[in-house]
This record gives sequence, structure tokens and C-alpha cells, in this order.
Amino acid sequence: MSSAERPLDLTPVAPPRSSSRSRWRSIGVLTVLGLAIIALLSQGLLHSLNYFETVNQVLAKRASFGTEVMRLEGVVKPGTIERTSNGASFTLEGSGTNQVHVDAHGSPPQLFQANIPVVVVGHFTTRTSLDFDGTQILVKHTASYIAAHPKRVKAPNGSTR
Amino acid sequence: MAKHLLERLLGPVTLALLALTFWFGLWVTPPDKVQGNLARLVYVHPSVAWVALYVSFGTATIASVLYLWTRTRSMVMDRVAHCAMELSVLFIVLTLITGSIWGRPTWGVWWAWDARLTSTAILGVLALGYLALRRANDDPALRARRSAVFAILAAINVPIIHFSVDWWKTLHQGATVFGEGRHLKIHGLMAGTLLISFVGFTLLFFWLLRARYRLEVQREALTTATLDDALATRRREGAMQ
Repeated sequence: MSSAERPLDLTPVAPPRSSSRSRWRSIGVLTVLGLAIIALLSQGLLHSLNYFETVNQVLAKRASFGTEVMRLEGVVKPGTIERTSNGASFTLEGSGTNQVHVDAHGSPPQLFQANIPVVVVGHFTTRTSLDFDGTQILVKHTASYIAAHPKRVKAPNGSTR
Repeated sequence: MAKHLLERLLGPVTLALLALTFWFGLWVTPPDKVQGNLARLVYVHPSVAWVALYVSFGTATIASVLYLWTRTRSMVMDRVAHCAMELSVLFIVLTLITGSIWGRPTWGVWWAWDARLTSTAILGVLALGYLALRRANDDPALRARRSAVFAILAAINVPIIHFSVDWWKTLHQGATVFGEGRHLKIHGLMAGTLLISFVGFTLLFFWLLRARYRLEVQREALTTATLDDALATRRREGAMQ
């Protein structure tokens, strides 16, 4: 029988097993992914699961913090903000009488104001002082949204509520 | 009939809700007492994050579970998971971008390595990893099984992101709408606009998912047709020898 007369063998066959190339590609992808996640974890979570220390926590264990660089969180005490030539000085409040005086360099964020929670990056000037030398101010705004002028809100139909 | 009508209305309703969100968000709602006009980003960022984390990643995870469960296993589930994960990448990127735009004037920095932001970035890498894993496997069944397992494992990160602001001290704010005790922390018209934005962006996801799913079905049909053509050509060549 010539090849032209011989019918083609079109019997379905089992699919080939996953090639080693495919397997290696999967391993490669997972390795790169694993490294990326480890890098992110080490940068973000493992070094700073808690992004800051509060004024209360720091003052409760003042000696253990010494002059190490840290992120200190508290509320800006009203009437204490003074603009200085290289930034601003103010008092950070915790609960009760817990207070830290901050002398921060650089321009504060747009929302920086009295009574707002802030995180200051910096360190205490000496091992026992309550004067904090800040290099950066981060504003930690709340999740409350209150209309600035509630009586002037206009409804879609133009009426005033 | 009703299904057909819903499908036809999905696009226009989505566009109308998003237009309403932007109109209310930009012109009708008042500025916030503390953040001023910066607070208008609340009508975009939380809704986009909601879709990224819960709606799209959730859809991909549920579809993956349904694929692995033998009683509901079908390539439809695999396709839904794949398309939803692609959209999840898109919405995670949008979440990070809108968060950065909001963070710069309010916090004072574009990015902070706090638990909420870092865990969200990790979810983005996991979603990209899912898509890369799919491209690394040629066998459809093997690809579907491996990626379904991967999606379910990656979904563990979603509750970590959600509770990160409660478990750890973060620069990111806590729950936007409801805090402890379920007290509404956002005022009337602002809350209404936020609700419209959540519904609008959720519908946008399903609209995009539907379009992407159709595209995937057409792509698979084209691949099959191309393979059939190649086989037919090969048969003709074999018959001529």
C-alpha cells in the first residue's frame, strides 16, 4: 500500500506530560515572586509592623529609647506652634501630662495644624531629655469627614440645606 | 429577557453612576473641615480599593475555589478567575496611585512603609505572580489547577490588609466609614456620594469583567480555529504524499 492510500492515524493520544521547560519556568516565576515578597516584607513589615511609637509609650520607657532615631506620634498641642527659620517647633501631647517638645526641620505638610495627630521622624537630643529633634513631619489625619460649612451645602436641585 | 436587559443596562448605568460620583464629588459636596478639598479623593480611593481587594480579588478567589471543587469544575471558572485577577492588578495599581496622590499633600510623603500600604503592594505582586504563573504553563488543566491554588493562597493577604490598621499602628487612617461601634464618621451628602461611588466602581468592575471574559472566549476560539486550520492543512499535505 502506497503512502497516498494509507489512511492517516488520527486516533486521539494522551497529552504529553508537562515538559521540564514548563516546570522550570514555573519554578523561575515563583522564585522571582518569592524574592519580591521577601524584599517587600523586610522593607515594610518586618522592620516596622508598628509604624510609630506614641508619646505615652515612649515616655513610659524613656530610658530604653535613648537618642535612637524613631517615629514619634502625638497630637499637636494648640498654641505651641512656632514657625522657625528652618521649620517649626511645637509640643506633642499624649494622654494626661505626657508631652514632648519638638523642634522640626523642613517645611511641614499642608495639613499641619494644632490638634492634629502627627508622626515626627527624629530623635531625642539627649538620653534623658524630652526635647525631640525632628527631621520630618507626617500628618496622620483621622477617618472622620465633617463638612466645613454644613449650612451652605447645596442640594442637586439648588436648594440650601 | 431580563438577563439580556440587565446586560444592556450595565454599561449605561455604570457610566451614569460614575458621572454622578464625579459631579457630586467635585461640585455638590462640601469641603471637609480638616482636609478641605483634598477630602474629595474619598469618593475615588476607597471605592477603587474596595474593588481591588474585595470585589475583584474576591471574585478570582471564589472562582478558583469553584474550579478546584470537582462538582463545579469547568474552564468557565478558570476564565473568570483569570479575568478577575487581571482587573485586580489594574485596580490595585489605581489604589496605590490614588493613595499616593492623596498622601503627598495630607501626610507629606508619597509613600510610607506602613503595614496597610506594604501589604497592599504585596497583594499587587501576588496578583502579578498569578498572571506570570499562568503564562509559565502550557497545559490548560495544569495551568488552571496551579493558578487556582495560588490564588487561594494569595487571598490570605486580603484579611491581613483589611485588619492591618487595627492590628498595627499605621500612618494610614482606620476604617473610613464605620469605626468602632459602627458609628457613621462621614456626613450626609458626603456619605451618599461615597455610596454612589462604591456602587459605580463595583458595577464598573463587572462591566469590565464581562467584556474581558468575552474577549478571552473569542481568543480561545481563535486559537482553536487556528489549530483546526493547521490540522486540516497537515491532513491535506499528508493525503497528497
